[in-house]
Amino acid sequence: MTRDGIAGLICLALAIGMLVLTRGLPQSSFVPLGPDFYPRIVLVIMAVLSALLIAADLWQRRAGAALAAASAEPAAERRNYRLVGITFAVFAGYVILLPFVGYRVATFIFVAALQSAFDPPRGARRWAMVLISALASAAITFIVFQHYLSVLLPRGKWTDW
Amino acid sequence: MFDLLLAGIENVLHLKYLVPLFLGTLVGLIGGALPGVTITMTIIIVLPFTFGLDPLQGLATMTGVYVGGSAGGAITAALIGIPGTPSAITTTFDGFPMTQKGQPGRAIWLGIWSSCFGGLLAGIFLIGATGPLAAIALEFGPWEYFSLFVFALSMVAGLTEGSLLKGLLAGVIGLAITIVGSDPIMSVPRFTLGTEFLRNGFPFLPVLIGIFAFAQLMTDIEKMKGSEHAAAPIKAPPLTVSHLSVLWEIFSRPFLLAWSTLVGILIGVLPAIGGSAATVMAYDQAKKFSKHPERFGKGNPEGIIASEASCNANVGGSLVTIMAFGIPGDAVTAVMLGAMTIHGIQSGPLFVSQHPQIAYGIYAAYLLAHPLMVLICAFGARLFLRVVTVPKSMLIPNVLVLCVIGAFALNNIMEDVVVLLLFGLVGYALVKARFPLAPLILGLILGDQIEVNLLRAIMSDANPWLFITRPISGFLLALSVASVLFALWQHRRQKGRTREVDQEPDF
Repeated sequence: MTRDGIAGLICLALAIGMLVLTRGLPQSSFVPLGPDFYPRIVLVIMAVLSALLIAADLWQRRAGAALAAASAEPAAERRNYRLVGITFAVFAGYVILLPFVGYRVATFIFVAALQSAFDPPRGARRWAMVLISALASAAITFIVFQHYLSVLLPRGKWTDW
Repeated sequence: MFDLLLAGIENVLHLKYLVPLFLGTLVGLIGGALPGVTITMTIIIVLPFTFGLDPLQGLATMTGVYVGGSAGGAITAALIGIPGTPSAITTTFDGFPMTQKGQPGRAIWLGIWSSCFGGLLAGIFLIGATGPLAAIALEFGPWEYFSLFVFALSMVAGLTEGSLLKGLLAGVIGLAITIVGSDPIMSVPRFTLGTEFLRNGFPFLPVLIGIFAFAQLMTDIEKMKGSEHAAAPIKAPPLTVSHLSVLWEIFSRPFLLAWSTLVGILIGVLPAIGGSAATVMAYDQAKKFSKHPERFGKGNPEGIIASEASCNANVGGSLVTIMAFGIPGDAVTAVMLGAMTIHGIQSGPLFVSQHPQIAYGIYAAYLLAHPLMVLICAFGARLFLRVVTVPKSMLIPNVLVLCVIGAFALNNIMEDVVVLLLFGLVGYALVKARFPLAPLILGLILGDQIEVNLLRAIMSDANPWLFITRPISGFLLALSVASVLFALWQHRRQKGRTREVDQEPDF
């Protein structure tokens, strides 16, 4: 099964799961249309489209198997999925840290960590540049948003800062 | 009308509004010029900056970003041959060859002046047509609104590149996200998993930023190979040019300017088609009408004029659809509509009559953004080239920080940032599964309205055939079916010619 089929299966599972959940929604005797009326329409359409996607994927696999074997796929550009994984992990760490150490410290750590992951610094000068730009990012955004745009940024439970 | 417009212009000329408009146009130009950063991305990044501003200040900023972003793509397209935004692709066809011939100033200024005049001409249409179209929209009942939203969604889903099924499914996923939270009639919580936070549904902005911004940024990160700082800086070429001769080149072709503008406006008014289609269509038309079609692609000024005039005219057309009907035509206008909602403005047929000061303020901001754009380019075009060479290793962490601020600042709760991360993962997964994001975003924005109008219609009259027998509603539903059938036919035709390869996601 290709990624279309897998995506279709996930969407179908989600649609069916949510359809099951609509059965528990309370009905009102005053209103003819219950809270499950519209969700059921959307979820049934989602389930049908997902099933069609799975069917199309299976159909294409059968019809296109011979063709695919005959003509090789053009080589796709090499993708750096490791870096994507690191970015999500560093971002998740940032989200976890924010309420504990506050915006300024968490942002400094996040920007420095991500910059280092994207472009590993070699030598003291590059490290200094990374740290200065991370510090500048945290400070400038804090000043602009908190002081000039009246946006309250998260304060740290541990640092109260 | 002209009194209101003059009052609007006078109002926006106050520093209180002019400064945000200027800054919005500047950021839009830079965002538009940055390859890989689309106008939608720029608008999403700028949105949190407008939270603390009053509605007109905020909307003037966003209008500036939209206008500036549409023109900004021409700068990098003409100077380095890389379109800053997808819609500037046709500007590279003649802009870059002109630069290579040693005329970078002529290339860039033909683009900027054409954007300015195309946009201003579309402004006349925006101001003149919004009122009459809103009057038509006033006749709409819930049946017509429901059908109009379904039409917009089916158009967007059908016209996206790639699989029609995935376009439709993406739109329905957007709708499914909006069913989480209390129902609009009895406020019964649905799919909230017992949490108080989800009673109001998933917060719109963090979901939007998560899905869109993460999907785009992660796609950029995938292509990074490290040591980006080592890339040689681009040397800015001299951009001196006789503006009079450039203006003469444009005005000596009045039909080309007018026709390209008209193409841009019409494509902008129609939901779903977008700026790229407008520029490609205008370029194609210009080539067909030209006495020397063989000169296209070799530095022909007509190619730049057609492309850039239609690109900014498209902005004016899109604004008409938002202001008259309250429906977004694409991802950029969806965010614009979201910005209006955040500033407490309900866009739609009553918008101009109920909020004339803000509506005419937006018109004024739109008109003034064009000369501001020319002014900024006159002083900053060389500077933009330096900005666009900022390494992605520095740019992406800062964009992500702005995404967090944008998600957090609306309600000041950390749960919104968690939603941002969650939908970031969802958005990236959808892009990897080659789902188009535009229908999803439209479904997300229209979901609540579709539900409310469907329920209103059925509760007013239980006869479901009214959706088909009421003339406008029936016509719109017929158009929806036709758009899906057309897309189906088009996809089948294309399928015979090309096989799907690992294409770039549709932002």
